[in-house]
Amino acid sequence: MRRVGIGLLVALVLGAAVIAATARTSANAGTSAAKAKNITIWVGWSAAELKAFKGVVAEYDKKHPEVTVKVVGGINDDKITAAIRSGKVPDVVSSFTSANVGSYCNSGAWIDLKPFLSKDKIDVNMFPKTSQYYTQYKGKRCALPLLADVYGFYYNKKMFKAAGLTSPPKTMSQLTAYAKKLTKKNSDGSIKVAGYNPFLGFYAGNAPDLSAYAPLFGAKYVDGGGKSTISRDPAWNRMLKWQKSLVDWYGYKKLQKFNAGAADEFSASHAFEIGKLAMMIDGEWRVAFIGREHPSLDYGTAPAPVDDAHPELYGAGYVNGTIIGIPKGVKNKDEAWALVKYLTTDSHALAIFSNGVRNVPTTKASLSSKDIKPDAHFKTFLKIFANPNSKTTPITAAGNAYGSLIQAFAVKYQAGHAGDLQGGLKKLDKQIDAQLKQAQAGGVP
Amino acid sequence: MTGITVPAARAQPVDRTRAKRKAAWRRRRLVLVLMSPWLIGFSVFFGYPLVMSIYLSFTHYDLLSPPKWIGTANYRYLFTQDPQVGQAVKNTLWIIAIMVPLQVLFAFGVATMLARARRGVGFFRTIFYLPALAPPVAATLAFVYILNPATGPVNILLQHLGIDGPLWFQSPGWSKPSLTILGLWGVGNIMIIFLAAVLDVPRHLYESAELDGAGPFQRMRWVTLPTISPVILFSVVIGVIAGLQYFTQAYVAANVASGQASQAGDQTVNNLGYPEASTLFYPVLLYQHGFRYFNMGYASAMSVMLLLVAFTVTVLIIRNSRRWVHYVGAAK
Amino acid sequence: MTSATVPTTATALARRKPPAAVRRRRFLLAVANHSLLIVAAIAFLAPFVFIALTALMTNSQALSSHIWPHPFRWQNFVDVFHQAPIWRWALNTMIYACLATLGVLVSSIPVAYALSRIRWRGRNIAFGTVLIALMLPPVVSVVPLYVMWAKLGLVGGLGPLIIPNWFGDAFSIFLLRQFFMTIPEEYLDAARVDGCGELRILGTVVLRLAKPAIAAVALFSFLYTFNDFFLPLLYTRENPSSWVLQIGLSEFRSLHQVQWNLTMAATLLVMAPVIIVFFLAQKAFVEGVTLTGVKG
Repeated sequence: MRRVGIGLLVALVLGAAVIAATARTSANAGTSAAKAKNITIWVGWSAAELKAFKGVVAEYDKKHPEVTVKVVGGINDDKITAAIRSGKVPDVVSSFTSANVGSYCNSGAWIDLKPFLSKDKIDVNMFPKTSQYYTQYKGKRCALPLLADVYGFYYNKKMFKAAGLTSPPKTMSQLTAYAKKLTKKNSDGSIKVAGYNPFLGFYAGNAPDLSAYAPLFGAKYVDGGGKSTISRDPAWNRMLKWQKSLVDWYGYKKLQKFNAGAADEFSASHAFEIGKLAMMIDGEWRVAFIGREHPSLDYGTAPAPVDDAHPELYGAGYVNGTIIGIPKGVKNKDEAWALVKYLTTDSHALAIFSNGVRNVPTTKASLSSKDIKPDAHFKTFLKIFANPNSKTTPITAAGNAYGSLIQAFAVKYQAGHAGDLQGGLKKLDKQIDAQLKQAQAGGVP
Repeated sequence: MTGITVPAARAQPVDRTRAKRKAAWRRRRLVLVLMSPWLIGFSVFFGYPLVMSIYLSFTHYDLLSPPKWIGTANYRYLFTQDPQVGQAVKNTLWIIAIMVPLQVLFAFGVATMLARARRGVGFFRTIFYLPALAPPVAATLAFVYILNPATGPVNILLQHLGIDGPLWFQSPGWSKPSLTILGLWGVGNIMIIFLAAVLDVPRHLYESAELDGAGPFQRMRWVTLPTISPVILFSVVIGVIAGLQYFTQAYVAANVASGQASQAGDQTVNNLGYPEASTLFYPVLLYQHGFRYFNMGYASAMSVMLLLVAFTVTVLIIRNSRRWVHYVGAAK
Repeated sequence: MTSATVPTTATALARRKPPAAVRRRRFLLAVANHSLLIVAAIAFLAPFVFIALTALMTNSQALSSHIWPHPFRWQNFVDVFHQAPIWRWALNTMIYACLATLGVLVSSIPVAYALSRIRWRGRNIAFGTVLIALMLPPVVSVVPLYVMWAKLGLVGGLGPLIIPNWFGDAFSIFLLRQFFMTIPEEYLDAARVDGCGELRILGTVVLRLAKPAIAAVALFSFLYTFNDFFLPLLYTRENPSSWVLQIGLSEFRSLHQVQWNLTMAATLLVMAPVIIVFFLAQKAFVEGVTLTGVKG
């Protein structure tokens, strides 16, 4: 007993000594006018992608002796929001969820960039239309685009050949047929290779808020008056029915077990990369991942198949931008802006970063820049990005909170727990409208 | 510091009363010094938040602009519109009505077995207590892995027995039972308390019961249970309070079980309560509103309600307990 | 405090030899009881075994239906440290746990003493506030406290986690008070006759006699803060340089895109300190837990 007491005491004293030391290091975040200013930027990328981004920033750092930039990766919107509320903010923040721009601009959590843009005479028309849309809310521009994610179709060519298939599917019914053909089962009936896995929540292409599927069915979120149209636009009904029919073909439980056994989406054992999945919808970044992790994989890319009722949509896809802005409460506003400006408008910076992570560059100039390394797979995504029917999710004052509501319903429906589809969608519309009303009023959630 | 001894006998009685008063004052000052941490602590970390919670619950406050008075709108939304709160209350009730009693029963069962054991009591006690020490985050991570429907050892073993294992943390029907198994595993604290209480039951009571012809079950019913009833009450109260705050395991389990989402998915997917809001407990919902959306006003309204419920439930349990809890004479 | 020992009267009573049939039945019951205990013990240990086995698997094996590692990959325990700043998290955890524990002791002992060994008006009310604080779910007060810490500019660091512990912890005060009550008045009177002031008495006599209770309070406080997840999540989630082990572990998988083998290795590493402390101080633990239950 006595020995433990002494040990504990020693530990306590040591701990006290250490905190004094760390308290000093964390206090360093402040500014010192004479020396180079420290600028911190938060981004969502991690691992190899983060390394690529750090490379871009390092170039900037070298050219600008007046600042030292620190990059923090693996950030999500939760952390950004929390930091802004806590009052201790990085100088520049970037988010993968462009749908949240509405709440960032509306609440003032990200500051208005208009004064900076006009001071430096930057015309926002240098950005593609879609990117302009998801970086503002009701004309208030609190963000700029920093590359974009475009969703397309990936298929395993070797498996296609083995199954006697020659070209990627163009409609959802074709996709279903191909999926059935390409699926292989183990002796105990479990899924060995999934032809196509439509399970909501399984990898990014099946985002449970249905965002990646909506453009493929031409599904509309809101009508002209800003009311939710999910029960009125029959595309949603068709989409959910198609999705569920394929889930049911596999069997809900079997698919769940397949998912539980599949590797993490951003690990090197990704199911598509190791041949456990024959087709999928995924973002353009996968091209870079495959190149790094499984360069010998024989695969093809194409636009994703579309609703049978709307074959003219083929070529379109879901666009989700990475947005970048300056949080409220930043001290080094000008230095922050200079970095944002460089990252979002400099063709060279955009091009080398795009080459590194294979995300779609987001200025008109850089889209056709010679610095972009050509790549057959990647070209598919540039085309999808340019397609007029490609869409992103709507920007609302509630951020992407409506996505949570769609998710709650869609996931229940897929499990067979939602009951009547049309009735459920009607209720969903009501919830979304109510939620938006609350958010606009600045009232309760 | 105040250890100066009172000056010894002075002649005049006036001086004596003054000395007395001085001593009393010094005593009061000593008490004040000793009590000061708690006096400050209680007012800053309990009193102030309580008053603030009530005030904030009538405002809209996002921490970006000053609180805006909105009357009872938060409460109205809470009781009539919030699409999630009903589910959250139901889930929390499930924990209190099913998991907590199961934990108490289980702990009592294990303690009884231990009390009867003749050998290796210390060894078994260590094993049963150990999981209670495991950090909840680590324990939850481990259980989500062990109960992984596809690659987890439990389902693999079940498969060898020819049983198609359930989806555990991946299915709304099984997620709460899975959390319960985790809860039973970590029941060591209550178990140790029960063990001590059972061993403390005076031997002569069993003796006389046996002489009266009481079998093992009757002895349990008429001797053990009444004697340890204060401990049962204690563990039920503690369990209910813990049940009302059930958060960490639910948060981590939902986060890990929903699993696939990591990078891009992390933001578009709302993992809290996964799957299908079956692990969305009241404190988890409070966290979502307060610390994900930063609706401080609404979260305050939620916490005021939680406070009222916690207070009522505790009072009710302790009131009712008078009927079944027996305090043995000397016990304090 | 002596309640954890097996009553000695039992042996005295067993002297009277019961008839053979009864003895037989008792023997069978004991066998059944012990077998049940063994089964339960295996079930309680199994999760630890599974964690350890998975921690030694290769990446792909952890995703397969094998339970036994083949080959054993000890490298995982090295890799974990390369994957994530575990030392940093461990350091933060130690800072939090140690300073909080120190604060709890320094602030709670005097309060407990004043509530138990000194008579003054309002003592019962003051003790009532301790009981109220004990019953209140902390979740109830987090919103205003977060606002307060944000205003003070301390969110993001360990301050909001540590500072409250320096102003008395209800549970520790309660536990210590219950223990101080049991110290016989004669000891204190003897000291008073010797001319000791109350503080001297507290500092010498009481502290010496209450060692087991103080050790228990220190252990509980340490364990509680080491395992704490909720408060670090609230106050430090956006600042990885303040993360403690529990936050790091919960973010480990998504942040570093690693597989179950490394996650389980990290899990094991996070569990290890508590388990080691437990084996070093098992007696204090068991006595402490018993103290909370039986005396309450």
